[in-house]
Amino acid sequence: MDIRAQVSMVFHLDKCIGCHTCSVACKNIWTDREGVEYQWWNNVETKPGTGYPTLWENQEEYKGGWEVEDDRLQLKLQSKIGTLGNIFYNRRLPTINDYYEPWTYDYEHLFNAPEGDDQPTARPVSLITGEFMEIESGPNWDDDLGGSPVYASNDPNVAPLTDEERAQLNEIQRVVFFYLPRICNHCINPGCVAACPAGAAYKRGEDGIVLVNQDKCRAWRMCISGCPYKKVYYNWSTGKSEKCVLCFPRLESGQAPACFHSCVGRIRYLGVLLYDADRIEEVASSPAADLVEAQRGIIQDPFDPDVIAAAKANGVPDGMLEAAKHSPVYKFVKEWELALPLHPDFRTVPMLYYVPPMLPVLAKMKDGKYDVAGAETEGLKPLLTSLEHARVPLRYMAELFSAGNEEVVTEVYRKLIAVRVYKRAETVGDLSQEEAQEALDVGNLTAEEAEAIFRLTALPSFEERFVVPPLAREVAIEQIGSPYDRKREGGFGSRTAPERRW
Amino acid sequence: MKWTATSTASRRLGLPAVVLALSAGLWLVVLTPAAAQTADQGEAVFSAKCAACHTIGGGTLVGPDLDGVSTRRDTAWLTRWIAEPDLMLEEGDPIAVDMLAEFNDIPMPNLSLTDLEVASLVAYLDAQSGAAPGVDPDPVQPVAGPIQPNAATGKSLFEGSNRFDNGGPPCLACHSIAGIGALGGGALGPDLTGAYGKFGEAGMASILATTPFETMSPIFDDHPLTDEEQVHLSLFLSQAAVSKRTAASVGQLAMLGMAGAVFLLLGMQFLWRRRLREVRRPMVARSRARIERFKQAEDERRGSTPGTEGR
Repeated sequence: MDIRAQVSMVFHLDKCIGCHTCSVACKNIWTDREGVEYQWWNNVETKPGTGYPTLWENQEEYKGGWEVEDDRLQLKLQSKIGTLGNIFYNRRLPTINDYYEPWTYDYEHLFNAPEGDDQPTARPVSLITGEFMEIESGPNWDDDLGGSPVYASNDPNVAPLTDEERAQLNEIQRVVFFYLPRICNHCINPGCVAACPAGAAYKRGEDGIVLVNQDKCRAWRMCISGCPYKKVYYNWSTGKSEKCVLCFPRLESGQAPACFHSCVGRIRYLGVLLYDADRIEEVASSPAADLVEAQRGIIQDPFDPDVIAAAKANGVPDGMLEAAKHSPVYKFVKEWELALPLHPDFRTVPMLYYVPPMLPVLAKMKDGKYDVAGAETEGLKPLLTSLEHARVPLRYMAELFSAGNEEVVTEVYRKLIAVRVYKRAETVGDLSQEEAQEALDVGNLTAEEAEAIFRLTALPSFEERFVVPPLAREVAIEQIGSPYDRKREGGFGSRTAPERRW
Repeated sequence: MKWTATSTASRRLGLPAVVLALSAGLWLVVLTPAAAQTADQGEAVFSAKCAACHTIGGGTLVGPDLDGVSTRRDTAWLTRWIAEPDLMLEEGDPIAVDMLAEFNDIPMPNLSLTDLEVASLVAYLDAQSGAAPGVDPDPVQPVAGPIQPNAATGKSLFEGSNRFDNGGPPCLACHSIAGIGALGGGALGPDLTGAYGKFGEAGMASILATTPFETMSPIFDDHPLTDEEQVHLSLFLSQAAVSKRTAASVGQLAMLGMAGAVFLLLGMQFLWRRRLREVRRPMVARSRARIERFKQAEDERRGSTPGTEGR
């Protein structure tokens, strides 16, 4: 056993209101510099939709992530020899048009325009060329299903649905969407790190944060192609690649990352997971249907004395182990098995998990009662059958969160429904205890678990949502230099100016 | 204190003094022995290094006839001229500049001779001055009877398709010349197009025999060209086709360059034909076209069904 600690995340999609506050918080802290205007380390996508960059999930085009070929786990992008052969020309880079051309507006014109018959306007100006431009696209261009005949209908996850299901998604009265906030997954088996020829991308040992060393980066940009989530970006000004750093300077001073901290819907949870690094390859090369189960298996019980002993032998500090015991992520992912990885089929073993959203069911008023289509109006039935009548087909959710295994997603939804039924029986009182028990049985939950899920979902305190481990970087830094100097000089990335320019 | 001071002073003055005395001594050693002794060495050096361009009493080749040169020129000047002609030309020595103009702007190269070699040459030239005229050491190897010069063989030797017998590198490695294909040869040495016209038959023959130039001599001293090779090469170099570059060959080179560029571009296009181009714009265009088609089909259906309200 090679036990390592990973600061990991859960996003509870049921609570996301799509306000983009996380994106803006991140932009203000990290990506408001020249050369990175187009980068959104945190972005919120509408699903169904094509996302940012456009169609990032389509690995036939982008070739990100891993695949199992000849019984071996290999980068989809290229072999090691291929890296050498293509080092001066990376064939799989998204163009700026696939992200979007960043722009500002010529606001000065509003004040300086000569007097005329018309109101002056502020024309859009490209932040890359500085010239006037036509806006064609943006980082959330298909927000709230904008342009859905073009965007939502091209969502790669829609492809496996039947024609009937697809038509249903587009029906005006049944139209449905949800939000998918995305940051770097800080994967256990990161494609960006594997693809980097310069050894600049690395996974930090103490907390598993994936970073790009700005001094070592040689701008081959293989990381951008290697990452299936397209969460590594190229800074065209410094000539280096950059990515979400999980606000490690904030984590090191005990704060939650900016996007977590600012989240209006409080959908984000952060905590430590312990995993067995010996099994990474085995997990990442499991058959598609078993990927979620395998990924749950690699996560170890922080209360198990064997695991603790192995972790200590590996140099995991006590503070980290203590944090792992209180981790909300461990509860959602392993204990309750509610949170699922996004696209486990990319085989990078992502460490950001999502609780899938409960979506509205199709219902209409009938005899003064709220009638779920096709269900009996009385009792528990409308709630229990809501899964079968979900507007988004389970198949779609399975494509997103369980590599196509509908069973895994169904189990999660049964649990989420059970918690609702249980709490309804308790608080509203229009359901009997027997019916509540029936729901719990279907969901395979105990009353205590249902209560705990409800509390961590609806009423968590700040400290329950963010269990930031003591990273004690100052102790580690003391080994290599003065922590006070470091504190003054440290910022994003390197402490020496890159050769080209800042 | 006093002792130290004197010792330092003596050290300061002493070393240059010793060096001066020694070099003066060396100078004496070089100059004083009977000129006849060094003149023998001088003859060897002359035939190896000078005879490519000069004769003594044999008339003008590339450079002037050196018969009686030691009476025409003062010894110090001659010594320095043999040792470092390039420097003297650079400094604008009036005699040197005049000679350069007289001899078709072909400067005398610096042959990197040692002081001893220079001294022996001066002694040799001195001894030859006033000797019976017409005594021409004739370093130019006359074409030996049985060898039939063949320009094609000369070309193959130049290009290296036939190796030199003594293992010298082919001319092409360092020299370019018209008449060996548009890509030409190396650029380390001068382009030999027109070289034959410049040096003449005798000059070229002696250059091939002695390879006197600074860059060539370290390479060819140990791997000299055989007599046979020399005559073949000499004939090849004398051919009209290689002594003048035609405009067509310049155009040929340009065409080759362009063809190469096109080939490389096509090759890259083929090698990377499955690269990622654009994603969003083609997707949007496809979808819009599909929506357009759908609308058209709808319109046609409506149009063909009478009674439906035409909105």
